[in-house]
Amino acid sequence: MPEPDTGVTGEPAAARTGGERVRTGTGSGPGRLLVAVYAIFALAAGARAGVQIGTQFSDAPLAYSLSAFAAAVYVLATVALARGGRTSFRVAITACSVELAGVLAIGTLSLVDRSAFPDATVWSGYGEGYGFVPLVLPVVGLLWLRRTARRARAGG
Amino acid sequence: MTTVLATAIIVVALLIAGYALVTALRGRAMGLPDLIGLGVLELLLAAQAVVGFVKLSGDEGPKHPATFIGYLLGVLLIPVAGAAWGLMERTRWGSAVLVVAGIAVAVMIVRMNQLWSGSA
Repeated sequence: MPEPDTGVTGEPAAARTGGERVRTGTGSGPGRLLVAVYAIFALAAGARAGVQIGTQFSDAPLAYSLSAFAAAVYVLATVALARGGRTSFRVAITACSVELAGVLAIGTLSLVDRSAFPDATVWSGYGEGYGFVPLVLPVVGLLWLRRTARRARAGG
Repeated sequence: MTTVLATAIIVVALLIAGYALVTALRGRAMGLPDLIGLGVLELLLAAQAVVGFVKLSGDEGPKHPATFIGYLLGVLLIPVAGAAWGLMERTRWGSAVLVVAGIAVAVMIVRMNQLWSGSA
């Protein structure tokens, strides 16, 4: 795919596309796909946590608090990936790492101590209720962040 | 939920996903057929929301309908967001987002059917 990022037409155009590229590095091209899946998970996890906490919080406070936490991390990752830029890049790395740690820790815990998780969270059983996407997503996210960082370094 | 409507939505959603997949593999941005498809999908989903609420008020469906209502309304956002995204990102990746959107709608409808019949 030809990309108009060689600044042959003059300084302003080159500067503009250059700036655009830095700003939206993680959220453009294939990154769109990642942001879209993250957005759907932010929506799904957020809605689930809202319903659980609103209607039956006392049944499983630990699981439902974790649902809310997971939802918050997804929202954070979605926004950070979509925005791009230096600060967002760090936020996205942190969010994806927390997510990976969360899905591994909660996945293991939910299998070891089922009584603490009478109702499922997004991360229970390594995200089996969601086709294991919660397990794959942070890994893909981190790989994508690494790739955009390399590309930015190579380009800049 | 009505089976006919749910089936129609799933078929249309998967058709959109399949068509967008071909478009993405050919390296093209989203086009008019995708937009029309998304429009039809949104209309079907709106119809489902109306039917869903009418049936819920008629004492049908799940005992705790909060999650179901969440899906019923949440799914309405997806074709709109997908269309907006496809129009913004004029590359193959805009089409790829529609693949995700189509599959997401299909999965959500299946999940709504489970909630409705109380099998999950």
